[in-house]
Amino acid sequence: MNHKLEFVDVLAESHEYRPATDLKSFEYSHAAEITNVYPMTEHEHLYQLRIVDPEARSRFTFRPGQFVMLEVPGIGEAPFSISSSPSRHGDLDLCIRHVGTLTNFLARVGRGTRVGISGPFGTSFPVEKMYGQNILLIAGGLGIVPLRSPIMTVLENRSRYRKVDIIYGARSPAELLYTYEYEMWRKFDINLNIIVDHPDETWTGPSGLITTILDQRIATASEGFSGRTFAIVCGPPVMFKFVCQRLIDAGIPMQRIFVSLERRMHCGRGKCCRCNIGSTYTCLEGPVFDYWTVMNLKEAI
Amino acid sequence: MERFNLLKKDHLIGFLRKLAKEYRIIAPVKNRHGDTLFTPVTDLDNDEIDLTNQPQNSIKSFLFPQTEVIATYQSSTPDDYTFTEPEPSFPPTIFFGVRPCDLSAILYMDVIFLKGKKDPFFLDKRRNSLLIGLNCTAPFANCFCNATNSGPFLEFGFDLQFTDLGDRFMVETGRSSGERLIEDRPQFFTPSTEKDSQARYQSFLEARGGFHRPVHLDQTLKKLAKGEVDESVWSFLSERCQDCGGCAYVCPTCTCFTISDQPLSPTNGERLRSWDACTFSGFTRMAGGHNPVHRATGAIRQRFLHKLLYDVKQHGRTSCVGCGRCVGICFGGTDIVRFINMSCQGELYGT
Repeated sequence: MNHKLEFVDVLAESHEYRPATDLKSFEYSHAAEITNVYPMTEHEHLYQLRIVDPEARSRFTFRPGQFVMLEVPGIGEAPFSISSSPSRHGDLDLCIRHVGTLTNFLARVGRGTRVGISGPFGTSFPVEKMYGQNILLIAGGLGIVPLRSPIMTVLENRSRYRKVDIIYGARSPAELLYTYEYEMWRKFDINLNIIVDHPDETWTGPSGLITTILDQRIATASEGFSGRTFAIVCGPPVMFKFVCQRLIDAGIPMQRIFVSLERRMHCGRGKCCRCNIGSTYTCLEGPVFDYWTVMNLKEAI
Repeated sequence: MERFNLLKKDHLIGFLRKLAKEYRIIAPVKNRHGDTLFTPVTDLDNDEIDLTNQPQNSIKSFLFPQTEVIATYQSSTPDDYTFTEPEPSFPPTIFFGVRPCDLSAILYMDVIFLKGKKDPFFLDKRRNSLLIGLNCTAPFANCFCNATNSGPFLEFGFDLQFTDLGDRFMVETGRSSGERLIEDRPQFFTPSTEKDSQARYQSFLEARGGFHRPVHLDQTLKKLAKGEVDESVWSFLSERCQDCGGCAYVCPTCTCFTISDQPLSPTNGERLRSWDACTFSGFTRMAGGHNPVHRATGAIRQRFLHKLLYDVKQHGRTSCVGCGRCVGICFGGTDIVRFINMSCQGELYGT
């Protein structure tokens, strides 16, 4: 093979060269305070956080779909999707399920706890590109969390969008998140459909898999899902394949289907390799991908 | 004709002694157990600098330590804390006797840590380091740097490069920082002649012909690029991977890491960065328990594809530098040479 393999000689002739900016490129985290903890289910709490420094708080901007790293010194650091509206800047909502060291620690803390926030990281849902279009948001289980930020964005800019649908599936009624907001979403002319796998005696809505309700929605769509619809999908890995295939069959191009993928991340800066899907760093080039890109990544879902 | 410098072997210790006045010297030293390891040289008279065996460790661990404190934290009240970054404490260091594979590995780490977002911890160490390479005149048992194009002789990347010519070293200068090492200590060097250059070329030819393992990496690279490597290769090798991480730890270019907090007391602690390995089953497993990598079929896929496919796409070359250390350390026999051979043959052998 006649490839002349060449290294990039980053440090060429620069041993004496000590620009201060090199070290400044390391990002520091913001001190933040947990202002409120709202238990939504047995295992998931909604944390409202506020970046302490008022200037840093108003300077903190993100886009729907991005994530932050939350750190508690001595416990650890982990990535969490932001689930509040970008218009609230450094007043963040994070919905956190208690499954690991850090999250179980968070389960025990209350208002006033200091944590560190760094970010925002990653790609986002192109909500501006969706102006004037129908939006179909599909969430399974905890997948509603990264979707709440685009939902809030849509609510705040309701006039810019045409029909907005939310299809949300959960295992049981007890595991539904943001139950207190459903009324508001409906009032804002959002067609909200909720389905649970295992209904209990109080449940009056439909039960079954999320695809059931998606099929009904596709069947009743008066004008079909042609080129005027964007879809945003997030859920457990098994859900993507079935949901996205139905969306494609319904006529939504793959480039208009956006998914948010979950990966384990430690550095958030494209160095530690943990979140790699093939050669793609989810922390830099994700977590939001269009489905076309996902289909070209091996082992993405 | 280009002129180089010569350093008599008798003068090597004297030269290093002069350098040691200004620099910390890290060189392959044979310890009392008979192992050759890159070690800081503390006593040039008694430490046995061993330039005939392959050092068992690479110099990765000096620039990117196995565990490194990246911050310390103190909290005065339970609800408040401050982070302090450690003071840079890497003294000016000369790495002496670095083989072409390990030197290429450092150049690769430069790309990883200093391209894009710069890593301040690596940068601090790297810019205080000078690399004196040593060309390989006799490849070791597991070496295949000829296949990875990172040896046996290097053309760039070093500050100085030595070639063993029997009773003397031919010394090439790569960077101006290396040139200064010679200019400031001219008493050790004599200019080389045409004969020396011929001797160097002769030893290059001998080295190139002296590899013990035929490794057809270019064929594997072509197959990987075309996606022609059989899926059964992955599951066959993954089955035998014992999840020990040895390959990643001896590998001079494996740079995956994890970050963890280590409380030292209720009020203070350290944030550590330590080596990790993509072959560990917990590497990609997420909080909910889902693991996007299927262990049975893909435990080592990421490792080999990263080295041989993704880095070729992203950085123009493989990040395997052919040092052969993983070949020696893997007790499951799933090292990179095994993979390359299996993928070339297109069918399983030994099943």
